Amino acid sequence: MSVRVSPDKCIACTTCVVHCPVARVTPKFLGPRMIGPAYERFRLLGLAEDESLTYCANCKNCDITCPQGVPVSSINMLARAEHCKKHGTSMRDWVLAHGELQAKLLQLIPAALKNFGMLNPVTRKVLDMFGIDKRAPLPAFAPKTFRQMARKVEQPSLPRKVVFFPGCFVDVYDPQTGLDMIWAFNRAGYEVITPEKFGCCGLPMIANGFWQDSRRQAKRNLAEIARWRDQGIPVVTGCPSCALTFRQDLPEFFPDLVEKHGAGVLEDAQDFLLDCVDRGELELEDKAPGDLSLIYHAPCHLRAQGNGLPGLKLLQRLKGVSARNADAGCCGISGSYGFKKEKYDIAQEVGSELFHVVRESGADFATSECGTCRVQIQHGSGKKALHPVSILRARLEGRRPA
Amino acid sequence: MSRTTDVIVVGSGLGGLMAALAAARQGREVRIISEGTGCLAIGTGCVDLLGYAPDGASVEDPWAAMAELAPAHPYSLLGAEKVREGLDALTETTARHGLVLRPASRDGKPRNTRVPTIMGTLKPTYLMPDTFEPDDLGKAKRVLVASVMGFRDCRPALVIDQLRRYPDWANKEYFPCLIPTPFDDAHRALNALDLARAAERPGGSEWLIGSLKERAEGCDLVLMPPICGRHAGSPLARELREALGCPVVEMLSIPPGVGGLRIRDALMRELAALGVELVENANVIGAGVAEGKCLSLDISSTGRNYATKARAYVLATGGILGGGVLLEPGRAIERVFGLDLALPADVAEWTEPEIFGSQAVSKVGVRVDDKLRPLDANGALALENVFFAGRSLGAHDPAVEKSGYGVALATGWQAGLAAAELAAAAHNTGEAATGGEQ
Ligand SMILES: Cc1cc2nc3c(=O)[nH]c(=O)nc-3n(C[C@H](O)[C@H](O)[C@H](O)COP(=O)(O)OP(=O)(O)OC[C@H]3O[C@@H](n4cnc5c(N)ncnc54)[C@H](O)[C@@H]3O)c2cc1C
Ligand code: SF4
Ligand code: SF4
Repeated sequence: MSVRVSPDKCIACTTCVVHCPVARVTPKFLGPRMIGPAYERFRLLGLAEDESLTYCANCKNCDITCPQGVPVSSINMLARAEHCKKHGTSMRDWVLAHGELQAKLLQLIPAALKNFGMLNPVTRKVLDMFGIDKRAPLPAFAPKTFRQMARKVEQPSLPRKVVFFPGCFVDVYDPQTGLDMIWAFNRAGYEVITPEKFGCCGLPMIANGFWQDSRRQAKRNLAEIARWRDQGIPVVTGCPSCALTFRQDLPEFFPDLVEKHGAGVLEDAQDFLLDCVDRGELELEDKAPGDLSLIYHAPCHLRAQGNGLPGLKLLQRLKGVSARNADAGCCGISGSYGFKKEKYDIAQEVGSELFHVVRESGADFATSECGTCRVQIQHGSGKKALHPVSILRARLEGRRPA
Repeated sequence: MSRTTDVIVVGSGLGGLMAALAAARQGREVRIISEGTGCLAIGTGCVDLLGYAPDGASVEDPWAAMAELAPAHPYSLLGAEKVREGLDALTETTARHGLVLRPASRDGKPRNTRVPTIMGTLKPTYLMPDTFEPDDLGKAKRVLVASVMGFRDCRPALVIDQLRRYPDWANKEYFPCLIPTPFDDAHRALNALDLARAAERPGGSEWLIGSLKERAEGCDLVLMPPICGRHAGSPLARELREALGCPVVEMLSIPPGVGGLRIRDALMRELAALGVELVENANVIGAGVAEGKCLSLDISSTGRNYATKARAYVLATGGILGGGVLLEPGRAIERVFGLDLALPADVAEWTEPEIFGSQAVSKVGVRVDDKLRPLDANGALALENVFFAGRSLGAHDPAVEKSGYGVALATGWQAGLAAAELAAAAHNTGEAATGGEQ
């Protein structure tokens, strides 16, 4: 790795230690200040890595709260990449980092069979032995990928266009959210383009130490984004983690690629829709009978973007909807972190405050932009969790969300 | 995020949170923009108002001592009555969330108390949690000084040695004690926050009470680090006091700031209930200004820049440490508007040899009028819809005079009220956001 983040802006104030959800639940983790800027000085001296680095969930609460702007999580992820380069990675981590690729390899097998293969107790036991906790809420493959389904959607021909970056969660496990997104953009007067060239944003690979793979993804995605950007067509995503990866991680980790292709900015789809409302392009006529109460969870990777909570604002503009921010910290899952056997209990403990608030809220649904946050909330609280845009669609169509 | 709101508050330290609270209570729509968490995450749970007079004398009655401050001091600009309003707003709010803060009093008059720190020093402060009975300190004869095994920040033997240097504390009998750790698998040095959280988990209060019960037998005071729960309204300190049958006092501690987090917890809950929007990890790097008004703020966050607008602005960006004041070779500037801050031309005069003395550089900050609006180098009003609060203000030195939270909450509250009033007026005259395209 040629890039490094200087640790010298850190003044050792411990603010990040206060807000790190993993340090909160386990003293086995050195915590952000120590494993990030402090230990980086040892790394620069060539000292051996601290074993607890693997506990960092890359949730970015350290970056969010640091008053000095130290990108602690980036220091950690670069150190992890370096460590993996020297000591190799595990098969389990490869599997968790490459969900999209597996879905591709399994494309010919019907979803029911795939899911039977992946989710039956015997396989789960094998996966457990291999390091994926048998209690973890592994999401099921959808019968068809979002992009397969999107091709079949008959969109009206509209003068304005947006390009949609689905991200692997929507593409592989949750196509309905992607379809709701198309519906909402059509309604606002935008035709939605879903290019075949887009692939996983690369974050699961970064978080699991598969540096070269994530670089390959970045190359392909950045070139594709540049193509649309140069035509003046905005590229949007409903997934906060994808957006953050393009905003923060790629320029930090692969500056040469960003220099070559230009900034690959994904706009927040919810923010975009809110702007459509303000411009009068999208009317928010809530036609659904009855009131709907929602408890909203702000994904850490959304909070890290410094753009507020547009998805929540959008829901709060609907007449019959009351949406409250749970404001109960990280859900614990951090992509694939909470699926790992040695992390499962930590992840559940991290999310326990949120699960409690969701359960006690008495809300009809939980809602959050991030796919794996929704899986975790549903698993931990028992309450069904939907993407804000899916709820928006249901209300505008005059029905109850499902 | 281009959407216009009534009041934007920059900074989420105590100054910013109080400003947001004031404006939201006036019914204004409020957005907080903050790069990081402010000093509450690293400070104690006691509110300093004014601990030392300008001549270095220790202050007993901070309200009386305020009258002696320089005219440019934030307290002098506001006057004692407005300082009291901010203090009342804070105590009323924290009390609503189970954290009662109050001063000690003598002869019916509120006064400062000198509270022990985990370094064994005594620090003057004004408001303390009500689990803490200041008179108990003076009366105590047999003092248990407790800490936890594996917790390096607080060493009873050191605390005792140091306390004995003070005449009021020299003739007490002391008993050092280390209680067992609640963690058996720690890979790092534990801090007070780890322990405060452990105390709130199931079995936590049994751990605290069980380990202290016997040792506190016959003592009339227990001094311990701040580990009785991390949340506002945690019942642990009270439970412990009842179970031990003697006063329990949490010593003031180094960061992370368990006590400060309790105050922050109460304020954040209140702000959430009022619907205040919090934009985190956003760095205000500049502003659009025309004709003495701020039109918009320029934000930079994770690789993207955008502008955001309000009808009035409160800047509670902290001092050099918080990020509000930038030191450059030969000068100091306020970071968002680039206001030039007065410092001696000769850099050698910025500091003085006495390290704990009053440094010119620590008094540097924005100069404001009595409404907390910034003034330029000639003393003329620089911006009419911007208000400054907290550590970003000049002419005070919280580290030396012990006035940190006091100045932050008083100026934050008044700045928030002033901004709310301005925003309401802009609404009434039908004036949209001051300036520019949406
Ligand atoms: C370690 C420590 C312990 C202390 N303990 C106590 C105590 O126990 N009692 C007491 O009374 N006082 C204490 N003080 C003093 C007191 O904490 C401070 O004086 C006071 O809290 C300052 O509050 P503030 O809101 O003005 O600034 P801060 O708390 O510093 O907050 C500044 C905020 O502004 C944000 N910010 C700055 N620049 C920008 C920008 N450009 N864009 C976006 N956001 C920005 C920061 O991220 C932060 O959120 C302590 C101070 C320290 C350092
Ligand atoms: S990224 Fe999250 S888990 Fe990792 S150090 Fe930062 S706050 Fe802790
Ligand atoms: S919050 Fe930032 S400056 Fe403070 S210890 Fe953490 S990394 Fe260092």
